[in-house]
Amino acid sequence: MVVAIQRRNLRDFDWLLALLAIGIVAFGTFQIRNAQPTQGFWIKQLIGLGIGLVAMLAVAFTDYRKLLNAAPAFYIFGLLLLIIVLIPGIGLKINGNRGWIKVPGLGQFQPSEFVKVTTAMMLARYFGKHRQSVLSVKEAAIGGLILGLPIALILLEPDVGSVITYMPILLVVLFLSAIRMRLVVAAVALSVIAIPAAYWVGVKTHLVKNYQQERINVILDPENADKRKFGYHTWQSILTVGEGGLLGAHGSSDQSQSSLKYLPEPHTDFIFAVTAEHTGFVGCIMVLIAYVILLSRLISGARRASDRMGMLVIMAVVGGLAFQVFVNIGMTLGILPVIGVPLPLMSAGLASLIATFIAIGFAISVQLRRFVN
Amino acid sequence: MKFEDTAQNLRGRLSIVNVLVVLLLSVLAVRLYVLQVVRGKYYAEAAENQRIRLLPITAPRGAIFDRNGNRLVDSRPIYEVILSRQDFKGDLSTLVQPLSEGLSIEPEIMRDRFEQVRLQPAFESIPVKQDANPGDIAWVEAHKLEFPELRVEQQPQRIYPNNGMLAHVLGYVGEVSPDQLNQQSYKDKGLKPGDIIGQEGIEKVYDDYLRGKDGYRKVIVDSRGHIQSEVERIEPQPGQDMVTTIDLDLQQVAEDQLRKSPQGRGVIIAMDPNNGEVLALASLPTFDPNLFSQRIASKAGRAEYAAMLADPKKPLLNRAIQGRFPPGSTWKPLMATAGLQQGAITIAHSNLVCGGGITIGNKFTRCMGGNHGSPDVHMAIMKSCDGYFYRLGLKMKLEGIQEMVNEFELNKRTGIDLPHEIVSLTPSREQKAKYIPSDPEWKDIDTVYSSFGQGQDVLTPIALIRAHAAIAMNGRMYVPHLMKELHATSAVGEPGNPDYSPGRPARVFDHPEPRNLGIPADQSAVVIKGMWSVVNEAGTGAGIRMAGFDIAGKTGTAQVVSLGKDTGVNKDHSWFVSYAPAFKPEIAVLALIENAGLGSRFGAPAVRAVYDVYYRKTRHEDPPGAQIAREKSAKPVATKPPDKKPPQIAATR
Repeated sequence: MVVAIQRRNLRDFDWLLALLAIGIVAFGTFQIRNAQPTQGFWIKQLIGLGIGLVAMLAVAFTDYRKLLNAAPAFYIFGLLLLIIVLIPGIGLKINGNRGWIKVPGLGQFQPSEFVKVTTAMMLARYFGKHRQSVLSVKEAAIGGLILGLPIALILLEPDVGSVITYMPILLVVLFLSAIRMRLVVAAVALSVIAIPAAYWVGVKTHLVKNYQQERINVILDPENADKRKFGYHTWQSILTVGEGGLLGAHGSSDQSQSSLKYLPEPHTDFIFAVTAEHTGFVGCIMVLIAYVILLSRLISGARRASDRMGMLVIMAVVGGLAFQVFVNIGMTLGILPVIGVPLPLMSAGLASLIATFIAIGFAISVQLRRFVN
Repeated sequence: MKFEDTAQNLRGRLSIVNVLVVLLLSVLAVRLYVLQVVRGKYYAEAAENQRIRLLPITAPRGAIFDRNGNRLVDSRPIYEVILSRQDFKGDLSTLVQPLSEGLSIEPEIMRDRFEQVRLQPAFESIPVKQDANPGDIAWVEAHKLEFPELRVEQQPQRIYPNNGMLAHVLGYVGEVSPDQLNQQSYKDKGLKPGDIIGQEGIEKVYDDYLRGKDGYRKVIVDSRGHIQSEVERIEPQPGQDMVTTIDLDLQQVAEDQLRKSPQGRGVIIAMDPNNGEVLALASLPTFDPNLFSQRIASKAGRAEYAAMLADPKKPLLNRAIQGRFPPGSTWKPLMATAGLQQGAITIAHSNLVCGGGITIGNKFTRCMGGNHGSPDVHMAIMKSCDGYFYRLGLKMKLEGIQEMVNEFELNKRTGIDLPHEIVSLTPSREQKAKYIPSDPEWKDIDTVYSSFGQGQDVLTPIALIRAHAAIAMNGRMYVPHLMKELHATSAVGEPGNPDYSPGRPARVFDHPEPRNLGIPADQSAVVIKGMWSVVNEAGTGAGIRMAGFDIAGKTGTAQVVSLGKDTGVNKDHSWFVSYAPAFKPEIAVLALIENAGLGSRFGAPAVRAVYDVYYRKTRHEDPPGAQIAREKSAKPVATKPPDKKPPQIAATR
């Protein structure tokens, strides 16, 4: 029986998903090495990959229902991590955010990345009951509270970038929890009109400060922004991407934008620019296609989930990942403002990597158990 | 889907999420296409531009030698603190205080420099401090993080002989000025702000040869402007070394003679009458050209320059080519030559009455030497008889004198290879009307004055010695020059490469055909004999006679103020113009000792001192009668001068 289960496990294990994720990490590690050839970031990333794979397998071969039943415990543990990181002396301040805990031997660890998973689990668990009716206000409010607690703690760091990547987790869960379609349409329509209008009013009434305006202007017109101040990151990133051309810049890597320090944070937030510089349009499109396949594969896994909870946990992961990929690359390509969000699976960073593998582990676990019960 | 929900179309919603994901990533793909494929070249270029810097390597300037290989001018390497403008986009004025303190530069100097830079966008490398000392260099290194835009580079700096030797000949180098950069002739040379070019003297005239071609380093810099690596290096092509016609020993003695003179002012020129090579050209007072090449960018240097401009002695003036002086009796041999040529006198019948002077209208102008009776032209030159030349002038008339002026090209520049040479003033009706408007008509008395080197005769020393040298050469008149030859430099780079600099060929001075004055040999022999007698018989220059070395010469004592006031600094100018050996000339020497007195007493001994050195060099033995005798007979020449005189020293600077 054990052997049979294992054989079935091996057969139903989503190899494509796992290999795609490993492939992206391997490619990303190569780019980290391109970005910082003299530093050991790429080695740490490989160590992270190893830990991530173990975590993924552990989660995949564990019944996700057991894990999700324990979601409140994980959720509270996550909140505790977010509180601990705020304590000076334990929490490490990087770029003005106290968002890292020092882990001996491995460097730093960013709990907010990890807490995304526990929050997604908590939301899946709460909204995963059998559903007979449309989403109630009360349910939405509790969903908001589940998301609000970690967000509030992260805002204390204050890591606005991370906070933004939490939003789509809840939005996807609400969207798939029978929220009325007209509410969704109305909300989309309203934001399309209201956000530019609010910005315009804000500028006119000087509620939006000059430096904030500058950041927006940089996106609207990076060519003419002050390339030495607000526009620096965006402009350098655009240059780096553009320089890659169709097949990548052939210059030796010691003349690259990252090794000459024109491109900031090349191994983390701007890893995609490094990829663009070294592999060109062809490499970038391959990366985008890999993400599309990965996300589509996760969504099709969600379709085949045997229960609502499993579907939601996968889709919460999809929402988080897709949004983060879009925000990070959009920032790199100069169509979104610069906020410190890592590119999942590619940016150097243990927490993000391991958390993403745990999330993928959930998806695999859900699929492995689709015929059970 | 194993579970069913009645309240929603879950499959549809999942599809919406899936489509949305693909859509978002497609937006990124489109943007990527625009950035990388459509505009890729543009961004690649922009990225390249921000990391590539071209740093010039200043080419060393050619050295300058005297004719015997003595090094007159050279360059030495110094360190310069340079501000890279590309790396500093802020307001330059914020740097004035920290840099002037850190590098001990006067803030005003720095502010001026930055102002200049602001007006010239092409200024890329701004020299902040020249001749940086080890302390300055250490300061720049220590403040790399604060001021990444600063770097230290080695640059050649020109050094000139101290004590101002040859200053007027050598000239000096300096930074190309904003005005010059606006002129087409400078633009054509491809100069950029901050470049060092010859600004005076032969440094200026031969700048195109002496100045090398700068090389450059193409380097990769990081975002802070720190040099990471060198991609390419184009070596500079050094400028051509130049050998001048100057003989350092003759120059030395000439300057010493002037320095010892009563006012410390004057001119001594020595040239080879056979080809126009200038062996010595001294003009005192002199200046230190190092001021312009080294110290002008300092408060003290600027004050020094201002003081020189204000100095009434005009040390910056090259008196040999920019000073005009009445020639006095040195004019007479030219008159005698022309008189013979024009037929006013003949060799057989050259006697004219002296009469101790001449009466024009009701005015008697006397001969300063007394009454010489009725001398012939030989005697008139030897004794410097004014009365003789009064009458010769009247016979030749103004037109005859003007013909002489044309013949000896006294109304033209000599064409010496130095900048800013001025033209002598020579007699004409227009000139008199211009300078003496109260009495504009040309009268006989003006012809009399013009016939013995006063009145409307005001010459540059270089024009005067050239004319005398022509008499010595039986009428062959050469263009005086200082360049003897330029050495070749080899090519730099590969032919066909845009940075290729072809080698520069060696060249010697391109002699223009000498002007042939067509003086019959028997006529010039008379004048030369007369000038020989000045020194070698009982003439006015007998005091400097050298046995066995026939000096032919003519004294001159030129009035600068009316008689009676000629004392102290207003004493007569003392002239001596000569060549030797008289009948086979090798060298011509002129001395003008300003406001000293008699030509025989000051000019002639100064010239003799030059001959002594020359004799020792060429004959390898002590000159006969090495101790310079004082003059035995003084032959003062004076007359009642015109009411007003043309300016004698033109302030050309």
